[in-house]
This record gives sequence, structure tokens and C-alpha cells, in this order.
Amino acid sequence: MENYFYSLDILYHARGEFMYGYWGKILRVNLSTGKISIEEFEEEFVKKWLGTRGFAIHYLLKEMDPKIDAFSEENKLIFSTGALTGTVAPTGGRYMVITKSPLTGFIAMANSGGFFGAELKMAGWDMIIVEGKSEKPVYLRIEDEKVELRDATHVWGKRVSETEKILRKEFGDKHVQIASIGPAGENLVRFSAIMNNGHRAAARGGVGAVMGSKKLKAIVVRGHKRIEVIDRKKFISVMREKTEILKNDPVAGQGLPAYGTAILVNIINQNGLYPTMNFRYGQFKYAEEQSGEAMSKKYLKRNKPCYACPIGCGRVNEMDTIGETEGPEYESTWALGANLGINDLASIIEANHMCDDFGLDTISTGGTLATAMELYDRGFLKQEDLGDAPPFRWGNTEVLHYYIPRIARREGFGSILAEGGYRLAEKYGCLDCFMGVKKQELPAYDPRGAEGHGLGYATDNRGGDHIKAYLISPEILGYPFKMDPHDISDEKVKMLILFQDLTAVIDAAGMCVFTTFGLGGDDYRDLLNAAFGYNFTTEEWLKVGERIWNAERLFNLKAGLNPEKDDTLPKRLTDEPMPEGPNKGHVVRLKEMLPRYYALRGWNPDGTIPEEKIKELGLEEYL
Amino acid sequence: MSRVKFFATLRDITGVREINVEGVKNIKELLEILYSRYGERFRKEMERKNMILVNGRNVLDLQGYETKIEEEDEISIFPPVGGG
Repeated sequence: MENYFYSLDILYHARGEFMYGYWGKILRVNLSTGKISIEEFEEEFVKKWLGTRGFAIHYLLKEMDPKIDAFSEENKLIFSTGALTGTVAPTGGRYMVITKSPLTGFIAMANSGGFFGAELKMAGWDMIIVEGKSEKPVYLRIEDEKVELRDATHVWGKRVSETEKILRKEFGDKHVQIASIGPAGENLVRFSAIMNNGHRAAARGGVGAVMGSKKLKAIVVRGHKRIEVIDRKKFISVMREKTEILKNDPVAGQGLPAYGTAILVNIINQNGLYPTMNFRYGQFKYAEEQSGEAMSKKYLKRNKPCYACPIGCGRVNEMDTIGETEGPEYESTWALGANLGINDLASIIEANHMCDDFGLDTISTGGTLATAMELYDRGFLKQEDLGDAPPFRWGNTEVLHYYIPRIARREGFGSILAEGGYRLAEKYGCLDCFMGVKKQELPAYDPRGAEGHGLGYATDNRGGDHIKAYLISPEILGYPFKMDPHDISDEKVKMLILFQDLTAVIDAAGMCVFTTFGLGGDDYRDLLNAAFGYNFTTEEWLKVGERIWNAERLFNLKAGLNPEKDDTLPKRLTDEPMPEGPNKGHVVRLKEMLPRYYALRGWNPDGTIPEEKIKELGLEEYL
Repeated sequence: MSRVKFFATLRDITGVREINVEGVKNIKELLEILYSRYGERFRKEMERKNMILVNGRNVLDLQGYETKIEEEDEISIFPPVGGG
């Protein structure tokens, strides 16, 4: 085999006597030396960190100086499964990619569904730590115990769909699962994604660019093992009970399967917090034309669930121009639509398809283009800067088709856009034109219409982000109960902290956050305890979530996070009242909430973590 | 005259995206009218959970089903929905 570089054959794949849910096995791949080795972990590690983000932050804090450049050889790229990944727990198929972000300079932790995570676990690996840099393009091939680094020169430069096709054929097994980068990751676009199953993305924070910097094109995996739980009969009965709750839940069982996440377009627009034209307004007059209702009617072919998912929110859409595609999800519909003043749904679907295939994060792609439109509109960016390229006029669909491939390939002005909205705004002298937090573009909710969610943006460990504490749930959707979006009492702040900690538990469990529409803290406790045979209380699991959140914060502080400067929101959201709609006159009262957030977290007034808290959470060894 | 807008699965039941109503006092009264006009399926869809907005503000943050409806108000009605 001429493509054969290095390989590792493990004849005996030992399992610790006590280890359930996991194998206790980590694959360490050093791309500088080509060395592949195995490490083990013990049950105490699971009790302390649970999985995914938790496992990873331990290794990042232990082995890496958080100050290093994200593109340096020293950065580590961790693929980690969760406690229930690969089991039959509802939605238990997720994995995360954790590394230092080249976009924010802080922690990146991107989560993806599909089938890759479960397959990795079934191959006998709980986690892969990729370190160093390869000189030439390689991919990692895993077939149970057989692990090899192979030459990837022939797929370097190829888009995601083609890469998957070639590597699948090469493997000779249609059930193989592939996580790969597109041209965007190869070209170090700061907001590039790692894709699996064509359209599932570990998208945010530029994890794909870190993979590109290491010249790792893909991880191809096939596993044949069954993940054991301590008491299979009991676990299946708990699984059935929780699956039933989800199936009977009006959102998880009916709303999401019927319309997908894009059902939110009309909801968020009617509630007046659908960010329009770079967050200038909170309602878009063409929202109906790009709504979940419209998309289902015009383009939906079928639903497509991820591994072990009873919800099945994924959409396969079909268009004359591009054939079958998946998505766009709510966030992508907005980022490539209303936020740019674009109303043509067909162009939005095509743009989403392009982002997936080139390996770009749709939210940051849209956010960066919106920054360019604002700069252009206000005269900071001029046509002479663009030459013959299309003008960044609000609503100009040509911008999508022209710039997305050029961002991924870093061609012409695309190369400047590839640095992300913050660096673009800085270059053209208007930082206020950038709508993001910690240099990452904001998602699809104007927090002037949901102030607790705004506090979530400001304090999120990975920067502008909605999914690590989705306060839209209580503030707008009414789950688990309705809270006034303009209430900023301690109750709201406490709710945000609970959401942050609980989401860390759900992520570490390897489950999907959409289960929260039906399940509560006690349900996750039941599933985890049934798998491991523990008697943890809900509070004890939440403590694990709190530990993860604080450890990530510790990483960020060590990386140079300045709370005063970085735990913040764009001026537009704190100083400029919403101009119209149901939230007219409102801003986010961040200054009133932030000190109480620090206090309720048990942190110092300056946003640092005091020694007592470090001790309480058992984080002394990471100081 | 007030405008009532329907979303998601409610549209399949009503067959229209919006209607106009006149002289309706509050949300409770409006729901009774809609239940009798669109029948059991509509009631069932709404009963477990729903979202009703008056001019973009959730009635749960106002006076619930007692929330008054004024002339020119826009009422948006959703079945249970979520996403992210």
C-alpha cells in the first residue's frame, strides 16, 4: 500500500472491569512525528468530567499553554464522544470538537450530530487527541483497533461531498463515517467547520481551520463494537420512558419533525427579535417567504434524523438547481437571509449548500457578509476596494453566490472576509459595525428582545453563541416555563446559570439540546445513572456542568480574557434602543446583570474565579 | 377591526393564514370564537401548549387569556413550537 504511512494494530483491546458507557480508551495522534498511541482513563475521570467538553478541557488545561497561537503546532484538536454516544439513549449520537479557536482566541467547542460520533465510539475509541502538524495532507483511517495515517494529497482541495465520496469508496464500506474539512478549513478560514454526513457541522469557532493547519483532511471511521451499559434491561426501560416523553412532547414530537428548526423564523420575527440587516431592526418584512412553513411547502422532500434520534428535525430539501440538499436550519436561513436583507429562499438554500460543501460555518459566514454590508452602506468600505466584485448592498443575492466560494478559497476580497467580521471591521475602521462577542459573529436572536439571552451571549465561553445556554426557551418559547424577556431579576440570571451548567451536562452526555423541550434535569440524571450504575442526584450532575463551565472560563482567563473588555455586547445592543416593533425602545441592560452574574457564579467582582470556587470544583491542579 | 394570524399546523386546520375579527373583547373570547369556527382539531392543537402574541407581546407576559384586544391589534397564534 503506497498510501500507508503509519499504523497501529492493537491486538488486545482491553476493557477495564468497571468501565461502562466508555471504553476508557484515548487515541493520541501526533502528526509531527506520525506516532499513534493509546492512553487509558479510569472511572474517576468520568465522574469528574462526564465526556466531550469535560474530557477535553482537562487535557487542554493540562497539556497546553492557552496563550499559544491557534494555528501553531502546540494547539491540540480533540474529537470527543459523550457518555451516552453510541448507546440507544434518545439522540445519543453526538460528538464534539474542542480546541483553541483561531477566531476568538479562546476555547472552541463545536458539537455535531449525524452518525460520526456513534461510529467512533463503536470503533472502541472515546476520544482522539490530535497534536502537532503534518508536512503533507493526511487522513486518519480507523477500523476498530486498526488505526493508520494515510496520504490525503488526492483529496486535498476537494469539497466535502467529493471528499466523502472518494474516501468512502477507498474504504470499501458504505457504512463508514467521515468527518472532514473542505477548502475553507484547508485555507485557514477562521470560521471554517468540520463536516460529517455531508451537512452535519461541528461549525463554530473555526475548528475546521485548526484541522487544516495540521494538514489533517479527514477522519474516516468504521466500528463494530457494542457499547455496554451496566444494566442493559434497566437502561432500555429508562430509554423507552424518556423516548416516550419526547414523542409525546408537542415540540419534540410534533413541531420540530413537522417544520424543522426553521419554524422559528415566523415565531422570532413575530416576537420582534429577528435580527434584520446586521441587527438594525428586529423584524424582516419578508420573513414569511423564508419561513419553515414556506420551505416545507416548496422544497421539503423528507425528514432526516441523526443517530438514535426520535425527533428527526433534519430536512432534506430538493431544488431544480442543486438537486437534493439538507437544511438550511433556522440559524442559517437567517444568517444568509434576513441579516443581509435577502429574501429569496432559493438563493438562501443554495448558499447554505455551498457553505456546507466548502466547509464554512453559516452563522459566521452570514455575520461577516453582514459586517461588509454595513461597512459598505456607511462608506467605510468602497467599491474601489472591491474592484469588479459585486457591491455589498443590502439584499443583493449575488453577494452569496460570488463571495462564499471566494471566502473558502481565499480569493481576492474573499481572503479579507475569511478573517471574519471582527478583523474586517477593524481593518476598515468601524468596530461598531461588527455584531459579535469575543470576535465571533452573533446568532439569530436580537437580545434587545430577550435580555437574559443577551447576558448569555456576553458570558458564553466560546463567544457569540446561542446554543450553550438557550434562554430563548424560557424568554420566548415558554420552556420549561415562561419568563418575561425584559425581566432582568436575579431569577433570570440564575436561570441562565442553570442553562449553562445543564447544557454542559447534556453536551458531555453526548445528547442533543433539543431534548430539553421534553426532558428536564432529572431525566438526564436517570439516563446517566442507568448507564453507569451511579446514584448521582441531579444536583451532583449539575455540579459536573458547573465544573466544565468554570474550567473553560479558566482556560479563557489563562488565554488572556479580560472580563471588562470581553464579557460584553456590541454597542448597538446596549446603547441603541430597538427602533421599531414589539421591543421598540429596549436595549440589553447588561451592566445591571453582569455583576450579579459574577456574584451568583461565585466569582470575583472582576469576573475572575476565586480560590474557594476553584477548590470547591476540584480545579486546583489546573491553576 | 383586529387581525388574527395563524402559523404552522394551525394553517392546515384553518385553511387561511389570517382572518379579521371585530368587537372581540379579549383573548378568551377570541379563542371561543376560533374553537367554534375551526372545531375540535383546532382546540386540541391549542390546548396543550400554545403561543399567543398581541402586537408581538406574549399574553403570558400580559394578562393571559384576559388580555384585552383593541381595534387595530394584531394577534399571532402558534401551536406548540420550538427550535434553535
